[in-house]
Amino acid sequence: MIFLTVGTQFPFDRLVRTVDEVCENGFREEIFAQIGDTSYKPRNFKSVASLSKNMFDEYMKDASSVISHAGMGVITMALDNKKPLLVIPRLKKYGEVVNNHQVAIARKFEKLGHILSAYNVEELPGKLQQLKTFVPKIRENQAQAVANRIARFLQSLTNEPVR
Amino acid sequence: MRICLAASAGGHLSQLLRLSHSWKDYEVFWITTTTVVAEKLCAFGRVYTVGESNRQHLIKVIKALLRCTKIIFTEKPDIVISTGAAVGCVTCFLGKILGAKIIWIDSITNVEQISLSGKMVRYIADLFLVQWPELAEKYHNVNYEGTVI
Repeated sequence: MIFLTVGTQFPFDRLVRTVDEVCENGFREEIFAQIGDTSYKPRNFKSVASLSKNMFDEYMKDASSVISHAGMGVITMALDNKKPLLVIPRLKKYGEVVNNHQVAIARKFEKLGHILSAYNVEELPGKLQQLKTFVPKIRENQAQAVANRIARFLQSLTNEPVR
Repeated sequence: MRICLAASAGGHLSQLLRLSHSWKDYEVFWITTTTVVAEKLCAFGRVYTVGESNRQHLIKVIKALLRCTKIIFTEKPDIVISTGAAVGCVTCFLGKILGAKIIWIDSITNVEQISLSGKMVRYIADLFLVQWPELAEKYHNVNYEGTVI
């Protein structure tokens, strides 16, 4: 099952409609979608407006792969769950987001081999095919190193006289 | 030493939580945007919520600003640690007025340039970390230690 999610804040009809069209044209894989509060209802797969945190986690865990906007939340979850992820960045020109930061994030993570990204709807069918065999590069974070740096800074402050 | 942890709910907050190792042994309190996350945070310290605010809604911004001011002047933190966004920025400036040390970790979502909030906080920050090495080269007084995600 492919899990399609648009995140909790805004709908993302451009993504849902395009995936629906790809299915219409013969893409045969089970999809379950969380599409937000939106007017467009997909005809080729099941969808819900929203999911509880627990249900969301369940679908993420069970999914063979994930399709979503390029939100950092879902990218993080897909990486943590080691799921192949295909994103379409939300674009400012369609009023989907206030700036084009999702494009920059998608580019960066795609270049590093962690995700696939389609930058427009035309690219989506091809990328969906790629997703079937895509093996995401495991992301190693340095949270411990960053925390250590902050801890050292805090430690240096405690050695200063109290103001 | 009392630490104020300030972050908008969502991605900013989750990045600050990933750094818990650095602040968990201190007395901390939270400033965030929504009560939804309060339950998770209260395990670490007091939680204050100031509502969501962005540049599009001036009234909400003013309300959040007043609320932050009251909290900071009551709690008088020695340190503010923030990952953004607007609420974190405001809290940093208020903290600085009272002499607090400011630690800013710019969100991983800022790939090509640091955030708008970060650009302002950079001038008052005592420790400013970014999560992409290119950004540390691009700006002065900005350090890269790695990413939290």
